[in-house]
This record gives sequence, structure tokens and C-alpha cells, in this order.
Amino acid sequence: MDISFDVIVVGAGNAGLVAAATTAKNGLKTLLLEKHNLPGGCATSFKRGRFEFEPSLHELASVGTAKNPDTVYRIFDGLGSKVDWRYEHNIFRAIVKGSGGYDVTLKAGIEAFCDSMEQAVPGCRASVHALLDLVKKDNEALAYITKKKGKPNGLTMMLRHGDFMRVASHSVEDVMKALGIPEKARNIISTYWGYLGVPTDELNAMHFLGMLNCYAVDGAAMPYKRSHELSLSLAKVILDAGGQIWYNNEVTEFLYKEDGAVCGVIANGRKLYAKEVISNVIPHNVFSMSDLKKIPDTDLKLANAREFGISVTTVYLGLDCTMEELGINDYTVFVMGDANPRKQYENRKRDGIYIVNCLNKVIPGSSPEGTCTMFFTIPLFGSDLPKDLEPKDYKKYKNGIALRYVTDYEQLMGISILPHVEEISVATPVTFARYLGTPEGTIYGYKLSGWDNLLSRISCEKEEYTIPGLSFCGGHAVRGDGYSSAYVTGDTVGKRVVSRIKGGN
Amino acid sequence: MSTPNIRSLNKMDFLKVVPNRKQKILEAPATPLPPTSSYKANELAAALHPKCQHLLVADIIEHAKGVKSFILAPDKDSGTENLAYFSAGQYLSITLSVGNVVITRPYSLSSSPKESLEGKYMLTVKEVEDGLASRYILDTWEVGTKVTASGPLGEFTYEPLRDAKQIVGLAGGSGITPFRSLSKAIADGDEDADLTLIYGSRTKADALFQDEFQQIAASCSRFRLVNVLSEEPAEGCEQGFITSDLIRRYAPKTGECSLFVCGPQAMYNFVDKEIAALGLRRKFVRHELFSEYHNPGKDEDYPAGKDSMFRLTAVVCGEKKEMDCNANDSLLVTMEHNGIAVPAHCRSGICGWCHSRLVSGEVYIPESMEGRRLADFQFGYIHPCCTFPLSDVVIDVPPQNV
Repeated sequence: MDISFDVIVVGAGNAGLVAAATTAKNGLKTLLLEKHNLPGGCATSFKRGRFEFEPSLHELASVGTAKNPDTVYRIFDGLGSKVDWRYEHNIFRAIVKGSGGYDVTLKAGIEAFCDSMEQAVPGCRASVHALLDLVKKDNEALAYITKKKGKPNGLTMMLRHGDFMRVASHSVEDVMKALGIPEKARNIISTYWGYLGVPTDELNAMHFLGMLNCYAVDGAAMPYKRSHELSLSLAKVILDAGGQIWYNNEVTEFLYKEDGAVCGVIANGRKLYAKEVISNVIPHNVFSMSDLKKIPDTDLKLANAREFGISVTTVYLGLDCTMEELGINDYTVFVMGDANPRKQYENRKRDGIYIVNCLNKVIPGSSPEGTCTMFFTIPLFGSDLPKDLEPKDYKKYKNGIALRYVTDYEQLMGISILPHVEEISVATPVTFARYLGTPEGTIYGYKLSGWDNLLSRISCEKEEYTIPGLSFCGGHAVRGDGYSSAYVTGDTVGKRVVSRIKGGN
Repeated sequence: MSTPNIRSLNKMDFLKVVPNRKQKILEAPATPLPPTSSYKANELAAALHPKCQHLLVADIIEHAKGVKSFILAPDKDSGTENLAYFSAGQYLSITLSVGNVVITRPYSLSSSPKESLEGKYMLTVKEVEDGLASRYILDTWEVGTKVTASGPLGEFTYEPLRDAKQIVGLAGGSGITPFRSLSKAIADGDEDADLTLIYGSRTKADALFQDEFQQIAASCSRFRLVNVLSEEPAEGCEQGFITSDLIRRYAPKTGECSLFVCGPQAMYNFVDKEIAALGLRRKFVRHELFSEYHNPGKDEDYPAGKDSMFRLTAVVCGEKKEMDCNANDSLLVTMEHNGIAVPAHCRSGICGWCHSRLVSGEVYIPESMEGRRLADFQFGYIHPCCTFPLSDVVIDVPPQNV
């Protein structure tokens, strides 16, 4: 039996959920297909014993509050999705081990952020403030470019938005150096590269500053019931609007018309047709499920030219003591073996950088009374897995990593974690490859560095992925990594499809 | 020296961003992409976690009346080249077509992880009273029978960063199977732990794998077996039940121990009270899952005055199917008996594989089977494997998709 829809969304990750919610809410007959039995992709939760773990979210940026809503809040609110947000007002604690190391805690709020930087590196306040001030200039320029529908007047750009042009075309490191920010302060600010997987000497400054500013202004937010709450809340929007979600439906082929337009997919062996298909699945996998003759050369070359983004190894611990008993006071701690972000990146397989979160700090009731959870994150590429790793050695491999990092943190903080481990789960790029299905288990799609940075993606958006009837959203799309970027691309693509189908163009 | 200023960066670099990207794309080949399965992470994920394993019964060992072990090998003709490696204590979810009914059942792997590398799994099946699946398997599986299984699943495994190195296993009846696997894994050097296995049976004749356990104990000092017989005395065996005193007597005298418990519901009911008397921290007591829940009506918190027959509407991929349902059958069992292939693995409310949306209706979920996530409560999701109807019910269920 053939079935037709206005829109088929493939993949119920963050962006797929928002895209489907947007089209369904706007009256389009929408089908969301998901190969797993749960929505969310990374945005889910899992249980071990009496603990329910947050699998991937560290800090959701750009949320804001009911009074001062930011992008993510506005997207959820606009869809009628209610989330119980909880907030964290410390940005992070960054510890560099060894002599010449440091231990710094940064606070949210522009002035508080600058104050904590000044305290850590006396004399840096003005230059750090100047860095954050650049965000305003970026936003003015981006607003102007948007107003001009992506075709700004060259002279206006040169005369009015020169600083934006500088920021948008240089690395974080170059911009910070130009502003005279001292090395130690540059290193502290760079700590966030760990969330993006691209060190700051090859990370686009506009991109990084946008993110830094979101955290510095708003702090971060977390859903009370783990990310599963976010995903079920968006699923509810889709269902309430008359859309359908079919779980356990794996798409194995994208269908094309003679003229090259996508007209549907095959899921569980069944042909499903739609006016538009939105893919939350990475282009790499879509192309491998397509007749290659239908893929424009540019798209295939682009896919071949790109590098995969970061994956992670994560350790989830359920402990039978409270965070106070354990002696933990922070939600987010970055631990680094060297102060230099490039060295942290290069040493990522050993003593580079890792992140430790204790969700009980933000959400005290997130684990049963008398317990707490810890979440270790080690940024690693799928290609960093040992080449000779065999299935029979995998458990030892991942437990070895977990032991190394947990022990390191115990020694660093002078606390005792291992005797309290009541539940443990360790995920690696293999786990992400299993659940996300992405090549190398990449979480963020493509590496956002060098020529493939945020600015170049946005600038070339209209010329890439031009197959009619097919659009992409998700971490692999123009906005890159992270929940908030994924939600934004889902929102943008969903609205475009609504306008095309409803507007008939 | 001039004061630091952003103006020291060349704004004209901005104009190079797009041409630079276009150049990079131009230089790349328009060749087909390497298949996703060729990357190391994806290759390992597929090997460790196959969605489905096609197996063949290669040999059958009859232990006693109503108890057989089935040796399973990869069914290469159906596309399974190698068996997935596993951790001792894990189970396979077996899919069975019994007449028009498609059901699943979880069975612990009783073979060692090492044997899986040699193309060999073993499942040991004991006839259960009213056991549709066990009887079907015992009656119909013969050498050459094709078997559809999941990848290895479950958390009843030794975790070195969590558990004490000294394990005390408490097994009742067919709950011995994961311990056979664990004892062999220890003897093979694949798990770095000691195992004292306290095995409760009715009679000596009911106790499985006795010769093998003797052999393992003789060759491996890290393993020791204590048989506890409830219905007869026998030489070298304890008589009675697995009490706290008995556990204390045989557990290692120094250092911490982790208790691993696997058996039928009746055993848990008894042994859990004995374990409580030991005053162990929760982390040192691990249970295998309870398996299928029966007769919810006898529970203290079961609502009174409810009917016993209702209508269930199951929506699968937008298609509605209506059927009668009995208050004593889980929604999963009702759907299976009506020919709907529903995803299910653990059938104990824990693995979440049958995660479904309760569209309308009132249901009962036994507290001991409550494995849902927090947001599931808020948004009305259930695990049909341990959910019983208290009214007419409509649920949205994913297809099995094997």
C-alpha cells in the first residue's frame, strides 16, 4: 500500500522533531519516521537501576526565561511545548593540572563573567569585555545581512561592519590576540572548545563568540526530566497537531522522480510519498541510500571534502552518596593536562581534556535521595579508536578509559568516587555509531573548522544541497553542533517547507 | 608598539571565505562515498549489537525430562556470519512463531563468551507450567531448526568498576544458566573475579550442569559450588533453603562481596528477605530481571471492583486493530495472541523496547515492574509488557521491525 503525505521527516533527532512539529502545527500532513523506538537521538535518557541518566546534554545554550526568552525558548514556546527548565549560573570551573596550572570558576552575566576573568588574570578585564562587545557588532551585521536577504551592500559592509568581517573570517585565537588578551586569559576562555571539538586556533571566532555570549549572558538551562522530556514534549506537539510518528521505521532508500526531485522514501520495505522530505539524517547516509546519478556533483564533492566532527567517550556513574558527601560543589568542571587548547586537542587520547558534570547541582532531585550522578565526557573522534580493537576486547577497552579518568579526577579533587559506584555505563564512539548511525559515530556531523566553518556554511547555503524536495536539518547542517543549533535548523527548514507547500512556490 | 586592536586583522579576509570553500569543494572527487559500515566505530557497533542474529540449532543436549540445552550456530545462509560477543550474564531475545502468534522470550546465554568466538551459543530451556514458549521450543526445535534472535542484551553482568571482585551467586532452578556462563568466563580468564555459587534445587537430580561445575571447580580455584537441596538430603550438599545464615557461612570471610541473584519469582520472594538481613549496601546486590508478570489481581494495590474483560485498540503505523483483552494479560501478551508483532525483549518492564504511548484508558502497572523514564509518566508512555488494562484501552505501538 502506498501512502502520501505533505511532508516526511526522516529521523526524530532534535532538529527532526522541531521540523516535524513546525510542519504539523502549520496544518501540513506530516509523518516523522524514526528507526529507534524513542524520539530524540542524543536527546533522550536511559535508566540503570534506580538512576535515570542524561546521556548527552551538558548545558543548553540560548534558552532564556519566560521573561527574557532566547531562541530555544521561543522555538519551544511558539510550538506550544512546555519544558520545566532549570538554570545554572556558574559557567564552568576550569582546572589545568600540573605546575603552571590554574583553577578558575567563571560566572554567568556579562559583568560577572568579566569580573571572574579579572580575578583569574589581573588586568585582562578590558580586553575580555572588548571580546564580548564584538558579539553586539556581529549581531548588528547579521541582522543587516538578513534584512538584505543575504545580499548585503559591499560598501555598507566595509564601512559599517568591518569588525564583523574581521571576526567572521578569523580564528578565536587570532581575534583574542588582536585584542591583546593575555595568554592565560585566552586559554581560560578557550576551554569551551571541548564542547565543539575544534580547538580555538582553527575555530571561527564569530561562531565561538556567539556561543560564549549565550552562556555568559544567560547561563545554561537543563530540562528537569532529562532530555527525554524535551523530545517527548516535541513529540506531543506533532501528535496533537495531527501528525504521525512511526518508531521502529528505518528508512533504507530515498525515492527520486525522473526530474531528480525527491518524492518519498522506503521505510520497513514500504514506499511512502511526500511533497517534501526533510532529512535529519546526515547527507553521507542519505546519499548512500540514493541513486547516485541523482546527486549533484557539488553535493558529492562536498561530502567527500568534509571531515567528520567530534564524537565522545562518556562515563555515567550512579553513586550511593550525595554530592556533598562526595565533596563535589560544581556542575561543570573542565580538566586539562595542558593550558594550551591546541595541545589539549592533540593529546585528546591521553590527558588532553575532559569534562565532569554533576547534575544534582542544577537539579537536586535528579537522582534518589542519598545519591548523586556524575557524567564524564572525553572528546574523541571515531577515528581515534584503536585500529586493532576487536569486539572481545571492547568491554576492557571502555572500562580502561573509565577507570583512567575517574581515578584521575579522584586524585585531582582528593575525593573518593569508585567505592560509591552503584551503577556505571560507558559509551564510546561505538555507542554513538550504534544509536545515531552516523559515520564514525560523529555527533556533530561535520567538523566545523577551516574552510567548513560556520560562516562559510551559512554563506553558501543556497548553493549546496540543491536537490528539489529534499532539505537537511541537524548538527550536520549549516548551524553546526549542539542542541540549540539543531533546534534552529529544524525550525528554519520546517518554516521554509511550510512556506513552499502552502505558498505553492 | 600600538595598542592591541581588532583592526590589526585584515577585514578583506572576509571576502576569501566563500571562494576558499568553493575551491575546496571543487578540488574534491565526485566519487561514491565509503560505506558507513566501513568505519571502525560502525563496524564494531554492528558486530557487538546486531539487530538480529540468524541462528541454527546445531546440537541438543537433554539434561532431564523437560530440560534441554540447545547449541546454536550462525546461519550463514540467512546472513549471519559471526555470533556477537557478549558479557557473561547477558540474554538473547528469541522470536518464535507459534501458529499465528509471534512471541518473544528472553533466555540467558548459558555458554561462555569465548565459545561465541568459535561460533557457538548455548541456551538452556526448562519446561514451565503453562509455558507456551518453553513447550514450543522443547517440542519443536531439532537439529537444523532456524532460530531468530536479538543481539546480546541485559545488565546482569560483572562490572569491575562497580562490583566487588568476590561474587556470591544465588541461583534458583533455571536461574543457573547465566552462572554457567560466568563460571566459564572466569575459568577462561575473561572475567577477573571470584565466584561462590550457591545453587538451590529441589533434588540432586534437578541440579543442572553438575559434572561441568565439578570440572571447573577442579581446574579453577576462583570458582566454588554449593548445592542447596530443599527436598532431600544428599552427600556434599546443604539441605534447606538459601538463608542469610547459609550465605554468611559460604561467602568469603574477608573483603567485600557482590551478590548476584537469578531465579524464579518465588525464589526472589524468599531470598530477598534473607539478603535484607545481611544489611548490604544496595550496590552489592544485583538481580536478574523478574521476567513476565502474572496475576496482577492478587496485588495489594490492585484496584477493586474492576471488570475482567475489555477492548484493546492497538494503533501500529496509523492502522487500528481492535481486540478483546483480559485484565490478567499484559497488553503485550494480548497483542501477541492477536497476531500483532510487537517489539519486546526483556518482558520485565526494564529494557524499554516495547515503549508505547497510552492514547486513552486506565491501566495497572505493578510497582516492581516500573522501569519507565520520568518524562514517560508526564507524557503518557507505557511498557506494554507489564501493563494491564483496567478499562478499554487505546495504545500507539511501534512495529516489531526485525
